[in-house]
Amino acid sequence: MRRYVVRRLAQAVGVLWAAYTVSFLVLDFLPGDPVSAMAGAGMDSGQPDPAQLARLRHEYGFDKPVLVQYAEYLGRAVRGDFGDAVSTGRPVTATLADALPQTLQLTGAALLLAVVLGGGLAVVATYTSRRWLRQLLLSLPPLGVSVPTFWVGLLLVEAFSFELRWFPAFGNDGLRGLVLPALTLAVPTGAQVAQVLAKSLLTALDQPYVETARAKGAGRWRVHLRHALRNASLPALTVVGLLVGQLIAGSVVVETVFSRDGLGRVTAAAVTTQDIPLVQGVVVFGALIFVATNLLVDLVYPLLDPRIVVAPDRRAGFA
Amino acid sequence: MTALPDLRPSRWAPLAALLTTSVLLTACGSGDDGSGAASGPAKSGGTLTFAVGSDSGCVDPQQVGSNDTIYSVRQIVDSLTDQDPKTGKIVPWLARSWDVSADATTFTFHLRSGVTFSDGSKLTAQVVKDNFDAVPRLGALGTLAEGYLSGVKSTTVVDPLTVKVAFRQPNAQFLQATSTHSLGIESSASVEKTPQQKCSDGVVGSGPFVLKQYVQNQSVTLTRRTGYDWGSALWSKKGEAYLDRLVFKVVPEAGVRAGSLRSGQVDAISSVGKANEAALKGGQVTLVSRANPGVVFGLGLNNARPLLKDVKVRRAILAAVDRKQIADTVFPTGTRPATSVLAHTTPDYTDLSTDLAFAAAKAKSLLNEAGWQTGSDGIRTKGGSRLALTINWFPNAATNQPALELVQQQLKAVAIDVVLKQLPVTQFATTLQSGDFDVVWANVTRADPDILRSSFSTRLANFYRLPAGSLDTALSAQAATADPAERGRLVAQAQQLIVRNAYNVPVVELQTQLGVSNKVHDLEFDSGSRVQLHDTWIG
Amino acid sequence: MSQSLVDDQAEAGLGPGRPVGDGSPAERGRPVGIRRVLSFLIRRPGLLLSAAVLVLVVLAAFRPDLFTSQDPLKGVPAQNFRGPSGSHWFGTDELGRDVFSRVVHGAQLSLRATLIAVLVAFVTGALLGVVAGFVGRWVDDVLMRFVDVLLSIPALFLSLALVTALGYGTVKVAVAVGIAGVASFARVARAEVLRVRQAVFVEASRSCGARWYSVLGRHVLPNAAGPVIVLATLDFGSSILAVSALSFLGYGAPPPAPEWGTLISDGRNYLANAWWLTALPGLAIAATVLAANRVARALDGEWARQR
Repeated sequence: MRRYVVRRLAQAVGVLWAAYTVSFLVLDFLPGDPVSAMAGAGMDSGQPDPAQLARLRHEYGFDKPVLVQYAEYLGRAVRGDFGDAVSTGRPVTATLADALPQTLQLTGAALLLAVVLGGGLAVVATYTSRRWLRQLLLSLPPLGVSVPTFWVGLLLVEAFSFELRWFPAFGNDGLRGLVLPALTLAVPTGAQVAQVLAKSLLTALDQPYVETARAKGAGRWRVHLRHALRNASLPALTVVGLLVGQLIAGSVVVETVFSRDGLGRVTAAAVTTQDIPLVQGVVVFGALIFVATNLLVDLVYPLLDPRIVVAPDRRAGFA
Repeated sequence: MTALPDLRPSRWAPLAALLTTSVLLTACGSGDDGSGAASGPAKSGGTLTFAVGSDSGCVDPQQVGSNDTIYSVRQIVDSLTDQDPKTGKIVPWLARSWDVSADATTFTFHLRSGVTFSDGSKLTAQVVKDNFDAVPRLGALGTLAEGYLSGVKSTTVVDPLTVKVAFRQPNAQFLQATSTHSLGIESSASVEKTPQQKCSDGVVGSGPFVLKQYVQNQSVTLTRRTGYDWGSALWSKKGEAYLDRLVFKVVPEAGVRAGSLRSGQVDAISSVGKANEAALKGGQVTLVSRANPGVVFGLGLNNARPLLKDVKVRRAILAAVDRKQIADTVFPTGTRPATSVLAHTTPDYTDLSTDLAFAAAKAKSLLNEAGWQTGSDGIRTKGGSRLALTINWFPNAATNQPALELVQQQLKAVAIDVVLKQLPVTQFATTLQSGDFDVVWANVTRADPDILRSSFSTRLANFYRLPAGSLDTALSAQAATADPAERGRLVAQAQQLIVRNAYNVPVVELQTQLGVSNKVHDLEFDSGSRVQLHDTWIG
Repeated sequence: MSQSLVDDQAEAGLGPGRPVGDGSPAERGRPVGIRRVLSFLIRRPGLLLSAAVLVLVVLAAFRPDLFTSQDPLKGVPAQNFRGPSGSHWFGTDELGRDVFSRVVHGAQLSLRATLIAVLVAFVTGALLGVVAGFVGRWVDDVLMRFVDVLLSIPALFLSLALVTALGYGTVKVAVAVGIAGVASFARVARAEVLRVRQAVFVEASRSCGARWYSVLGRHVLPNAAGPVIVLATLDFGSSILAVSALSFLGYGAPPPAPEWGTLISDGRNYLANAWWLTALPGLAIAATVLAANRVARALDGEWARQR
């Protein structure tokens, strides 16, 4: 077990390092000149003079060979220093840390909604014996993954904010302000939860132990929840990492639609202003969330499923 | 800012008279004060939530030029003087009184006593001097304030409550300039900070509200200054403001702002275009509007670009724009197409509507004369280069994009290709300064024709890269002239030179239109068509 | 967003419920009878409708003039903000342009971008996967670790980083979305190549002394293609969503280009007075994605099961 944990940790660190490298490669080989952009964005600067450009270039290390730059940047990134955001001059880490709580609130609420609504849908759809209800319910998830989130958000705003006036259309105010954005963000995620869970529930219901439980006289609902759901939710757990990553990324669109403060809006603004250090910070942060969630799932998994002692690499996509 | 300095000599009187009649105050609702039916006596307390469309990334009144941000930061600082939006008269604020030398080169202000900044420090002549000494060093964002003080010789402390500002030449516009937010007085501690620090951390002022929190691109929160007792002579309430708190939220989409106002989530919204008028009319909302004086919205051409160096091309663009169509389709009801480079509410405005008439045929023949022939893709070419221009624009008003899409269509009709490029509002100043643009969509609000000099004189920033010439002479001369008739003649000449050489393509006048909930009372426009919230109350 | 269907992609990669392993390779290559296709379709009206929607959308992308004669870029300003009616099915926008015509012409931009995205993902991903699966050993290790890394960065973030680097525009957005989709193709292609390689007939032909390229070309690729094509269909739907999300955020073509995401983004300014400017273009996106996903599901499961 300990060896397994150590190996998974090492893998996680490796993936993070590589994600940093990829983002460095993508962003630092820009066609533009980041220094001119910075000089332009500095609000106190007049016409940037060549000497100032050279000084900035030196300050940011752009006059050094790429490999040296990479090593220096990586060294700082390891200590959590991603440099300063070009547009504001504030440290990237602080900018992200400030925006993060709002986004965690949003994604947390969305994840909860997705699991409750998507999971509930899967359970009811596989339990009901009414054919029309089952078909209706099972047709919802494909719909959920097909609608653009920004569109759903705008429709919700029109209906529940402008017409019914139940919830605010924008902003970060309290629980009421969280409802519409969280719901919007939960639509595609909940649909995926429903799809995965319904599929594994159906598989589980065919298993011998379900027959056994039924034969022993357990009620249908009890069999469904105690035996089938319990076993079916384990495979669903493996996609949580993917879903959390998606939710964080989805905040870019949802926070834009609802004019909410948070990581997503910071990201959108950073892309618009070509704020390279900030975008890089966001990319690495996204990878960190994904890796951390997967690590957590992998470490928790053996505890939930006693059959697995040393888990193989089951995660989708890590063939 | 609808008028000229209130210089004592009576020779200014005819001008003042002209102003009183030319100040346009349109109100689409029940009144110009933003209030609905009167509902009892004014009461204190409450929070006003004001949704604006953009954030210019800075909360220093001396540096900010974008209306959406001025609405909030204006409340933090007081100015030496105030200007009556109805008469254009300059009235006391932080200055009890003032003396202007006969040649308009020296301005002496007698300050009110007992004024304190929100950090506890006192307003003295030294503080005013510190402010005026620091303004010329503001740089990129502070060009407005800098321009007001250009040519300043010295600011001297006469006694603790008397300060004297001396200019090298007559500077007719300066008294009016002291009423603007750009020359709002900040505490000495704030003045010492770098411009960038002032932008991100905010400043300490003596105004009726204090900056509580600024979250970039998100919100500006102000709280009432307790013990405030030195309001402008124009305000009806003495002492502190009515409202406890002001929250300015950045909501970029006009549709969301309108919907939020209608459903009561916010109390007031900025920049209401024609599109949202119908949805807001009736119900619990009043639309209030006021025409902004200054340089109208238009295509700020970069005259140094090879394509735009040719006066025929510039004049073709001038003729190809159908101003009326743009004003009628996109802008608030009552908005006027541009009839000069100055809005008609600006002093010394000259009607040049015949020069600005829509004439597509003339545009085509000008382009043909200049050697631009329509190529196979429907766009003109000459010597292998295409007649293609990029218009940079900034989302500081909901009307910008549709207006420019119409400009794009209209220029396409004479076979000029236009690419629209949106940039963040925060990059406005740096774009102009860098000179790396073909065309910028912009306006400047100011109630003094000297704004022409700030915008187009090659002796100042010269953002639009005009060639030096007779325009400079006219612009410099008007600033140095104390004779109103002579000044009027020079300003008219400058407008003609700009329009006939098509250094700039005026398109449409800006008419500020706000949507205000009926429970909000006495939300007033100041002379620059921005808001004054000291007297505002909710009931 | 591009990643909203990752689950399906993961499924395709994982195997359970996937039919590809069922039929013997020989059977898969057999030509399909038209009558069987028809009878298959007729029993599934939803699928038939989806196929029809897709055909129409693709047709609109290449021959927009078949659907509308109105100019998508020029309207009558005096007739702006007209609601949906007989003469303007989707109403008119703030400048009096016909919204239906803009949606139809927008299909050209949005679908082209989507096709580029899928193509980039397909070609790059399949190449990586096939090389990894066929060569094996350390090459496999290196390539697949790289793919793992791509997967660990949320797709939208990866696309946004690429947009930051490449700049704005339809094609650039398409490439950014395509690269973000490379990983799942690589994974599926590799898994298929491995599966087929180990199949009896491939082993047999190798032991008969066939050259590696002939084994690859004649046996491995044709047999591994199925799931990759299914994935491409699925990726088509998610790429439309991703491309329109990026153009919604303002990284697509500048105005007046009627990209689908841009249409909705512009319509936001008139949410309070013209619902059709956001609702109807969104409906077009949703219908297209839904149709593509339905067809993908049919290709993936139902058709194979019925045989």
